Amino acid sequence: MLRIIVIMLLFLVGHAFGIEQPIGHVKSVSGEATITSGEKKIKAEVGSPIYQGSILQTGKNSAMGVTFKDETVMSFGADTVFSVDEYLYSPAQGNLKFSSKLAKGSLNYVSGVIEKLKPDAVTVRTKSGIIGVRGTQFLLRVEE
Amino acid sequence: MNPQVSGSPLWRGGSRSLCTFILLSMLLGGCATKSYVVLLPSPDGSVGEVVIKGEKGEQVLNQAGQAGSLDGRALKIEERQIKEDFGATIAALPKIPVRYLLYFSAGTTLTPQSESLIPKIISEAKTRPAVDISVIGHTDTVFTDPYNMQLALKRAGRVSELLTEKGLKANSMVIESHGKRNLLIPTPDNTWEPRNRRVEVSVR
Repeated sequence: MLRIIVIMLLFLVGHAFGIEQPIGHVKSVSGEATITSGEKKIKAEVGSPIYQGSILQTGKNSAMGVTFKDETVMSFGADTVFSVDEYLYSPAQGNLKFSSKLAKGSLNYVSGVIEKLKPDAVTVRTKSGIIGVRGTQFLLRVEE
Repeated sequence: MNPQVSGSPLWRGGSRSLCTFILLSMLLGGCATKSYVVLLPSPDGSVGEVVIKGEKGEQVLNQAGQAGSLDGRALKIEERQIKEDFGATIAALPKIPVRYLLYFSAGTTLTPQSESLIPKIISEAKTRPAVDISVIGHTDTVFTDPYNMQLALKRAGRVSELLTEKGLKANSMVIESHGKRNLLIPTPDNTWEPRNRRVEVSVR
């Protein structure tokens, strides 16, 4: 069931193909987890793609781990709602941004390349405060 | 009890309202501590920084183990509490990605040393569930931008071919070219620099 997708990304032509690129993939799931991208909600499985705008959710006694294109790594504990608002990773063009929101639940975050190349490009919003990340690992918990 | 406090009109006259106040602040405090951030060292051992901006202020966390509430106040959290709140989350963290640098003697020919990395990349990929690969080509600054975008793409394409020929199976493989726009060693334009003539392979 392994599929190889080889996509040639020519300079500045990426968007011209009209194919939206996944920005990350699911690496681990236990229990119930879903990914909502646009109108489509899928059951999260190892290998499931994540897109800009995707909403990641876990249920009771569940957890999920994901890895992003820029090598940012995250995991989520039970009853979590996390969304990727904006994800830009084009180092050659200098487009670097990662804004996300943890509505509730828990997150373990490990920095990737985006913030190495551009400090202050990574933020995680919560309802009570905004977190700026500069090259590190942290734990974040948001209680409803 | 502090005699100054116990003798104060507030304590004598308003013990009930003070109790309510204490209870309320305990409740509020309890709620606030449930939403928090804890800074940890990166997997490479370095400690970065997290800045929390909330309605109660701004907190900069830059020490391993330092915590802050999400409204921007400093916070003390016991390790036992962190384990209770995050044990399952930490256990679900995927393997940290690795990045390999492969160098070219000329054109799209890898140096022998870099070619010997190909089997290592494949065996690393096999250890990961649904492995994702990015193959990113780079050049030095000799010649024009369009020329180098093409050359870097050819280099990345060559490495991707080698990986596939030698049996790499991936969930996704993306080939990219950064041309001369993402130098490893910063140089002026038109500078011959072997360390910039490279392909980066990200294994996630």
